[in-house]
Amino acid sequence: MILKELRRRSLLGGLCKTNTMKDQSFANGESRYRLQLRKGAATVGLPPAWVDVSEEIASNVQRARVKMNELAKAHAKALMPSFGDGKEDQQNIEALTTEITNLLKKSEKKLLQKLSAAGPSEDSNVRKNVQRQLATDLQNLSMELRKKQSTYLKCLRQQMEDAADLEMNLNGNRPKEEDDDLDDMIFSEHQMARLKQSEVYTVEREREIQQIVESVNELAQIMKDLSVLVIDQGTIVDRIDYNIQNVATTVEEGLKQLQKAERTQKQGGMVMCATVLVIMCFVMLVLLILKEIIF
Amino acid sequence: MVLVSAVRDYVYRMLQDISGMKVLILDSQTVSIVSVVYSQSELLQKEVFLVELIDSISKSKESMSHLKAVYFLRPTSENIQYMRRQLSNPRFGEYHLFFSNMLKDTQIHLLADSDEQEVVQQVQEFYADFIAVDPYHFTLNMPSNHYYILPAVVDPSNLQHFCDRAVDGIGAVFLALKRRPIIRYSRASDIAKRIAQETAKLMYQQESGLFDFRRMEMSPLLLIVDRRDDPVTPLLNQWTYQAMVHELIGIQDNKVDLRSIGKFPKDQQEVVLSSEQDAFFKANMYENFGDIGMNIKRMVDDFQQVAKSNQNIQTIEDMAKFVDNYPEYRKMHGNVSKHVTLVTEMSKIVEERKLMLVSETEQDLACNGGQVAAFEAVTNLLNNESVSDIDRLRLVMLYALRYEKESPVQLMQLFNKLASRSAKYKPGLVQFLLKQAGADKRTGDLYGNRDFLNIARNMARGLKGVENVYTQHQPLLFQTMESIIKGRLRDVDYPYVGNHFQQGRPQEVVIFIVGGTTYEESRSVAQLNASNSGIRFILGGTAVLNSKRFLKDLEEAQGIARSNANVV
Repeated sequence: MILKELRRRSLLGGLCKTNTMKDQSFANGESRYRLQLRKGAATVGLPPAWVDVSEEIASNVQRARVKMNELAKAHAKALMPSFGDGKEDQQNIEALTTEITNLLKKSEKKLLQKLSAAGPSEDSNVRKNVQRQLATDLQNLSMELRKKQSTYLKCLRQQMEDAADLEMNLNGNRPKEEDDDLDDMIFSEHQMARLKQSEVYTVEREREIQQIVESVNELAQIMKDLSVLVIDQGTIVDRIDYNIQNVATTVEEGLKQLQKAERTQKQGGMVMCATVLVIMCFVMLVLLILKEIIF
Repeated sequence: MVLVSAVRDYVYRMLQDISGMKVLILDSQTVSIVSVVYSQSELLQKEVFLVELIDSISKSKESMSHLKAVYFLRPTSENIQYMRRQLSNPRFGEYHLFFSNMLKDTQIHLLADSDEQEVVQQVQEFYADFIAVDPYHFTLNMPSNHYYILPAVVDPSNLQHFCDRAVDGIGAVFLALKRRPIIRYSRASDIAKRIAQETAKLMYQQESGLFDFRRMEMSPLLLIVDRRDDPVTPLLNQWTYQAMVHELIGIQDNKVDLRSIGKFPKDQQEVVLSSEQDAFFKANMYENFGDIGMNIKRMVDDFQQVAKSNQNIQTIEDMAKFVDNYPEYRKMHGNVSKHVTLVTEMSKIVEERKLMLVSETEQDLACNGGQVAAFEAVTNLLNNESVSDIDRLRLVMLYALRYEKESPVQLMQLFNKLASRSAKYKPGLVQFLLKQAGADKRTGDLYGNRDFLNIARNMARGLKGVENVYTQHQPLLFQTMESIIKGRLRDVDYPYVGNHFQQGRPQEVVIFIVGGTTYEESRSVAQLNASNSGIRFILGGTAVLNSKRFLKDLEEAQGIARSNANVV
């Protein structure tokens, strides 16, 4: 109605000028409204079912991002020197990492299964593009997670080495003041205790590293699967005009294939045989009846 | 960055305020405009999940009311008709209409009438009506470019379309830059004068409100020149990367289609050459062929190093690092194979057509004197069996343009030889060129032999010697730009439109070549811009020419002129 109103009033003169005001707000190129932005007059329809899946995946991605921030904080806390044995920090990190990896794996599975579309329709193009965009987001998240984990891993290893060096230095620098047997025995007990402690420590760290390596591998798998979907930037497939042409050719190809299939089916030898056989059956039936009637 | 960022900004503004899943509908012109500045992945980030052409979207009846439709079209009557049909049977939830140039009131009324169901949310004009191929180079990609050659009486309506499109494009450039220029044009060219006057009418009378920008100290300069003032540059063979690819293979909207020159695997059939997205291309697009070879070799060596380290995976850390770097590696691999393929193919073509030999003579004809030696060289090449027809034609044309007044007998000999050697040659094409772009018709001093200063300059250059025989040619545009920088562009040759005059030097200059630009000229512009002369130059034209395109335009114009003469 607003456009019709415009027309009517412009016939009375003057409206077009006042409505075509120049856009003063932007610093860059000039633009001009011919019709003001109308808020919420039209109804946007209900989307098809697969949109729910894509929205679920998008919210998973969002949740994963939030968790990653928490993970970053937990990593930093665990790397700081602390008085406790830091077990709850480790557990926290493990829990967060598994949660994020699961979210990513779940999203990836859903993405590849539910969102794949067949057939050259417009809806399937939309679906394919939504899939691509979510795949890019997922891949970026996976890469980020892996980077965070590898830096954490590196710092852990560094700390382990430092700790081992420190242990060696402490053991080595112990001053040899007393040379009594008693002192030797006491020494060796102390040394044994210390050795045991550092062993336990090392085993712990090893386990952590092993876990991280596992999750790194899992993520690598996800990335490999997703990389087929993600567009390489700067290449020809990232060009809008190339994609439009391709869609047109795929649709045409699809049509041609359908037509060809139709033709082959019609001309198909099978159809011929079947028709011939049916006709023969009828002929035989008629002959049979005739035979019965005559004789 | 100026032109590219202006168009990118427009596309960004179109999509920014509309939330939810969108479909972007373009026409055959705007698809080029958007594709050179915005990538598919960037569109996906903005939730545009479908891109279609306006004529193909009319064919489908599927209702997709959960999508919001964003239309970006040129305001042609054809597009308005499509729009009316689509508005009367709306398929999408919301309609946001953006036009690349000024809409007439009648067109808005037509749209209003068809919007029965009130699905249109906004109608805006975003003036991205040109294809920004490089930061300081734009083109209008006009399909029928040859109309600039013909006089107005031959085909007035098509010529009017031609001029309208040029004026629309130029107007859009200045609206995007938010400036209103002083306009000058090349005196000897009727069409340049016509376009200049119509542009002035648009900017100072018809839409003076729209073009009324805050006046800065110095208005920019719009200079409209004719391709026929410098017919030599599009005929020459090129040896700098971007220009060479366009000359030997052909670049369209920053894409190179390799299918015409051989069989390639699927992912190498079409490649993108964009200075915005390819750092290697940006660094090498103006380098000459020899230097490119070396730089590519260096790039391949770097890549091989990376590839080797990737194969040497022994620990888990190495594996992790490999997976981390895999996207980078893949991109590098794609880029390296693209450039290697291009340079290999071009080397093949250079070898086949003996272009080094031909180009040496071409450059001599364009830059140095000596009619006798030139005649001999051209005759030898004409007799040479391995020289292709198009190269023979170019040689004769270059000779004719330079020596048309000296020794007409020898010129005639060359014409006959050309006609006898080249089966496909349309007789009279060279004469047609001379009639259009001969010495009497040109503004400016193409060969540097009219003006004493230029003659002296040429002699000095001859004594000094040149760095590279194959790239010694400087297009006429370079001299024109230098004169502008010195503030010495002659009023006699380039008069003003209207009574706006300009004292001193402008700070921004847009040069529009009616008939098309070449990549050699855009290279000159880029080099001058980089040299901090205090003036920013922008170059634009009705098309981007290579020798094939230029010759095609000449042939089509000659065909029309001939049939017109027959009719009359």
